[in-house]
Amino acid sequence: MAKKINLERRLRLAGTLVVLGLLVEFVSLLKSHPLAFIVFLVVGGLLIAAGILIYLYSLVSRDGELTATGAGE
Amino acid sequence: MFGPTSILIAIIVIGAVLIGILIAKPSITVTRGGKILAFVSLFVFPILSGSMGVSEHVERSKTTQFCTSCHVMNDYGKSLLIDDPSYIPAGHFQNNRVPRDSACYTCHTDYAMYGGFRAKLRGLRHVYAQYLGKIPDKVELYNPYNNRECLHCHSGARSFEEGATHNLEEGRLELMKSNKLSCMSTGCHSATHDVKNLSNLTFWSPDGKVKKDDAGAVEDAAGGSNK
Repeated sequence: MAKKINLERRLRLAGTLVVLGLLVEFVSLLKSHPLAFIVFLVVGGLLIAAGILIYLYSLVSRDGELTATGAGE
Repeated sequence: MFGPTSILIAIIVIGAVLIGILIAKPSITVTRGGKILAFVSLFVFPILSGSMGVSEHVERSKTTQFCTSCHVMNDYGKSLLIDDPSYIPAGHFQNNRVPRDSACYTCHTDYAMYGGFRAKLRGLRHVYAQYLGKIPDKVELYNPYNNRECLHCHSGARSFEEGATHNLEEGRLELMKSNKLSCMSTGCHSATHDVKNLSNLTFWSPDGKVKKDDAGAVEDAAGGSNK
């Protein structure tokens, strides 16, 4: 059960980071300015990359495997 | 109506909504559908929006408004409105010989392999100089202006190929085409961005009125709204 919670926490974290990244991307699209490009690339890119990596990690980690096979755990 | 920006915004919004569902109920990932939802919302959509976003920003970086948004470039933008067609950038901008909304990029990218990519890298260096580094006292081209950039449009044009001055002596045209004789040689097309003398010049305005000074008008003339 604890492992399932761990996985859910990771998914939530990944989701939150990706949403924040998408939000930054959205805001940066409102302006055509060099700084908007940098914010998009650095802030948005990093947040999204971190979110994706955490998600991928949750897939390959032991917790993910256990939860996926033992749904009723 | 539905341009790339609208599609990108739609992808961002849909992605955020799907992730919202996942955040609210992460336990759905134990089902097959939940796993697909997680994969699409946490992997496919972010990658898609990221790559489309880069492409969109790169396109925007070609706009005149983007180039002149840095303070150091303001005077160069203003020089596009000099009310004298002998100034090459002004003559090109005002007569639509280059697209007004991408005037800087049209003449200052280099039309060689990876030229656009190199221009973008230089642009990133300029952004660094603008915000974190030191802006040089004198803004200069990295290399002398290459005729190739002019010939990208003018090569083959009758006015260029048969122009009296261009054919004044035998071989002159070939010298220009091989970049051995610069189009911007003194006495030819040497009047470019005369930013030092802007205060002594008058400016053209798209509404037909010639003004002494009109900062920011270049953005209006270039259709300067955010894309």
